[in-house]
Parts: sequence; structure tokens; C-alpha cells
Amino acid sequence: MQRRHKWIIPASFLFFPLLVYCAFVIFPTANSLYYSFTDWAGYGAEFNFIGLANFDKIFTDRLFGNAIKNTLIWFALAIFVPTLIGLGLALALQGKSKINTVYKSLFYLPICLSPVIIGIIWVWLYSPKLGIVNIFLRAIGLEHLAIAWLARPNTALISVFVAWAWQQTGLNMVIFLAGLTSVPTPLVEAAKVDGANYWQTLRRVIIPMLRPALVVVLALTAINALKSFEIIWVMTKGGPFNNSDTLAVFMYTESFRKLKLGYGSSAAVVLFVMTLVIIVLYFRQISAAEELYD
Amino acid sequence: MTSAKRKRATALNPTRLAGTALLYFVLTIMLILFMAPVYGVIVTAFKTATEVALQGYWTPPATISIDNFARVMDPEQGNLSLYLGNSVLLTIPASLLSIALGTLAGYGLGKYRFKLDGLLFIFIVAGMFLPPQIALIPVFRLMNAFGLYDTLWAVIIIHTAFGIPICTLVMRNFFQVVPNALREAALIDGANEYGIFFRIMLPLTLPALAVLATLQFTWIWNDFLWPFILTQKADSRTIMLGIVNLTGQYTVDWGGQAAASLIGSLPTLFIFIFFQRYFIKGLTLGAVKG
Repeated sequence: MQRRHKWIIPASFLFFPLLVYCAFVIFPTANSLYYSFTDWAGYGAEFNFIGLANFDKIFTDRLFGNAIKNTLIWFALAIFVPTLIGLGLALALQGKSKINTVYKSLFYLPICLSPVIIGIIWVWLYSPKLGIVNIFLRAIGLEHLAIAWLARPNTALISVFVAWAWQQTGLNMVIFLAGLTSVPTPLVEAAKVDGANYWQTLRRVIIPMLRPALVVVLALTAINALKSFEIIWVMTKGGPFNNSDTLAVFMYTESFRKLKLGYGSSAAVVLFVMTLVIIVLYFRQISAAEELYD
Repeated sequence: MTSAKRKRATALNPTRLAGTALLYFVLTIMLILFMAPVYGVIVTAFKTATEVALQGYWTPPATISIDNFARVMDPEQGNLSLYLGNSVLLTIPASLLSIALGTLAGYGLGKYRFKLDGLLFIFIVAGMFLPPQIALIPVFRLMNAFGLYDTLWAVIIIHTAFGIPICTLVMRNFFQVVPNALREAALIDGANEYGIFFRIMLPLTLPALAVLATLQFTWIWNDFLWPFILTQKADSRTIMLGIVNLTGQYTVDWGGQAAASLIGSLPTLFIFIFFQRYFIKGLTLGAVKG
């Protein structure tokens, strides 16, 4: 084990990073909390401390309720869809053959693209007349489904979600693949020798061993889902009629479009609290997992 | 039975063979669906508007045209050449600074034991999970107060700060596994703590630095939200803002948009192709051990 050192040397290494981190990450976060108790409106304007008035207002705001509803739909889809597809792909492609390597690379290619670019590409794919989605639907005789996906109130959110999941699935697959490398082959072989079929091996051996990877995937997906803004902004700006307006978009619109900066801060605080719950759960799961494996 | 023999035996089993064939059939269909958007963007980017009008978007281009690229790069039109330059000026210093600060913090936390070091580590790493939205308004105000609003500096500083958690995490984990004997031997030889850090430890960190360089470059290059909030005029706009702006101007010019998307993705695609190993390693940190 390492010896105890005088604090001065580690402090000298930590001073500048901590200074920058506190000044531009921690201080603004705390500051946001403060602004959420003010009536700040307009960039230059003076503002007053108004206590919990913003929160009183926000929980009766119809648009906020709508944003929370959309965020929860988005969140629920995000937890299941890319996780399950990513897990399926990882299990199918975990072998080291050439074809698997190529397939894996192509499935995770979207990870390196900007959400902005993914949004632009998918707007084009969804375009009502010329987009491949509708060309495909017409080709297989589903003419009635060839609709303006992003312009319809009941399909906008889910259409944006599909574009988002296109990227998140590859990321989840990569994390599951890394997790699979920690599943000892002898254990899987032993299960087979004992007469377990693939599904039994999967349920009883592989999935439990994948728990750490699953925790990481769920935490990352959940947080990415809550904070995703760019792709929604590029594709629908939260529309039509706020039907794809999530909390992240609501926070931006209230703060920077309507210039209600105090009110927008309270939306940011709600988003922050939701993330905090996930962070706490995540760290607790991790320490539980460490106890289990140590 | 050795595992190689068993593999051969199972591979020859006909039901198993049929299962494998079915699996790859399904995977291939999925892959085609998955890659269709990428294919569409590439073929459309290299087609002229006339050809699109005649052939539609999804056929391969008869002749390869770079008109779309020229149009969106042209300072008189899409002006992406300016935004590309800005993105380089932003991404490189911000990546380097965040990695440098993360290396210092990671070393301080990975190689020394002191009171509350574990808590400090969690305090820094927790920043990785913060949604940027929580800091948006205060950072906007802070940058205005510093007179940095609408400059690349504002975005550089904020990406440096928000990059510290991930860089600290990677470097701390890295330094923890560097044998202490190395440091102790140097101490006995009379080297001081900083000499050890710069001359002995830093050269060892190259693989970890490569992981972080690919990660940080990709995040910062691809980011839209921070420059969107912190910049306004063309001279401080980044490529992602430029591309979004372009889609507003050329609403139905899919050729131009496809070319712009490709241009904006080239640097990260380059990393994806040539440094994939490092990039993946960075993405999967913590997935194995938790």
C-alpha cells in the first residue's frame, strides 16, 4: 500500500483542475439553484428573490406537465429499446470471427456521429414524399402508413426517439461486448456440459455476470435520455404543438427563447434532481456490485 | 474433449448450422436497415441536383460530383470552411487542456493517499453525469461578465471544465495500476515528486492519453449545445452550428445537407476508422469492473 504523504504534494497536483472544475461546473450548478428562486427575466434585467414561487408555478404549468409526460415516455422507451437490441447484438456478435468484427464496427459507427448530424439525416429519411421510410412503406404496400412522421402530433416524439436510439443502440452494444469479455469461458462451457441449453446458460450464467455492464448501460442511457436536446431541437424543436417537447427542450425554450431565465432555471433544477436520483442509484449499485465480486 | 474439438463437433451439427445461418440472415437484414441512412447520405452528397431529380436519392451516382461540397464550403454560400476552422481552433485546445488538467488530478488522486481522497474523487467524477442544462444559464451569465460571450474562448473553457471528470477518472485508474516501485526507486535516486511525474510517469501514460484524446475530440467536435448558447456571430460559430444553420437556409437542398453532414463527420469518422481501439476502450470504461 502507498504511504501517507504530506497533503501539500497531492494538493499541488489537484489545485488547478479543482479550481477550473469548481469555477465552471460546480459554481454554475449551485448558481442555477439560486436563480431558480428568482424572477430573473431578460438578459440584463435586475431580479428579485421570490422563494419557491417558480416551483409553485411550474407544477401547475400545462407546458411543463406536457414536457414531463414526454420526458417519461422518452425515458421509458430509452431504458428498454436500445438496451435490449444492444444486448441482443452483443450476444450475437461476441465471437472473434472476421464477419463479426465487420458487423460490430458498422453497428457502432453511429456513435461517432454528432446528434445534430443524426437529426439532419433522419429528418431527410422521414421526409414525407422522398424519404426512404415512406418509400419503403409504399413499396411494401403500407401506403396508409406513409405519413409525415415528424409533423404529426402522435408520431413526432417516437420518430425522434428512433433516430436517437439508432446511436444509443451501438453504444450499448459496445458496453455489453466489453462486459461479455469478463464472463469466463470455462463457466459457460461447464454449464453446457451440465446440459444447460442456450437460454438457460444465458439466464443463469451470462446475464448475472453481465450485471456490472447492465448497470453502466442503464445509467448511461437514462442520463443521456434525460439530457438529450440537440437531436430533438434539430428534428422538431419540440413540436408540433409541443408534442415532442421534453424537459431539456422546455428548459431551453423558457430560458433562451422566452427569456424567463429564473423560471427556466427551476426547470433545470427539476431535470437535475431527476439525474441526481439516477446518479445515486448508480453509485449504490456499483458499490453493491463491488462487494459482490471482491 | 478440448474446446476446439467440441467447437468443430457443434459446428457440424445441422440444426446448429441452420440456427447460425438464420442468425446471420437476421443480423444482415438489421445491418442493412442500420446502414441505409449512411448509404443514403453518401450517395446523395456526390450527386448533382439534376441527377437527383431524374434518379431520386437512393441510386448510386452515375458520375461523382463534388458540387455539393464546393457549394457548402464556399464562403459566399454555406461558409463551412470558416466553421470548420473554428471547430479545429476550439476542439484541439479544449481537448488538450481537459486532458492536461485531468492528468494532474488523476495523478494526485491515483498515487497519493490523503484525508478524504475518496470523497474528492467522487466529487469530481460525479460531474460526468451532470446534465449541461443545469449550468447553462449561469455559464451564459458568467461568460458575459468575463466579456467572453460570443468568443471561442468561452466554449474552450467550458469544454475544458466539463471534460475534467472523465479525464480524471481515466488517469486516476491508470496511475493506480502503475507500480509504486517505480516511484520509490526514483525517490531513492534523489528525484523529486514533480520530476517523477514529468519524466517517469508522463511517458508511461501515452495509451491512456490516446484513449482520452479520441473521446474528448469526438465529444467536443460533435457538441452543439454549448456553442449554441455561448456564441452568436459567424466568426465564432462551430461546424455543428454552421450545419444546422445551413439546413435552415437550404431546406430542400438535401445534396448540400448530405455533403455538409459528411464534412462535419469526417474528423470523427477518421478517429473511428484509425483509432477505434482507443475510442472503444474509452467508451467501455467501467463496464467490466463496474
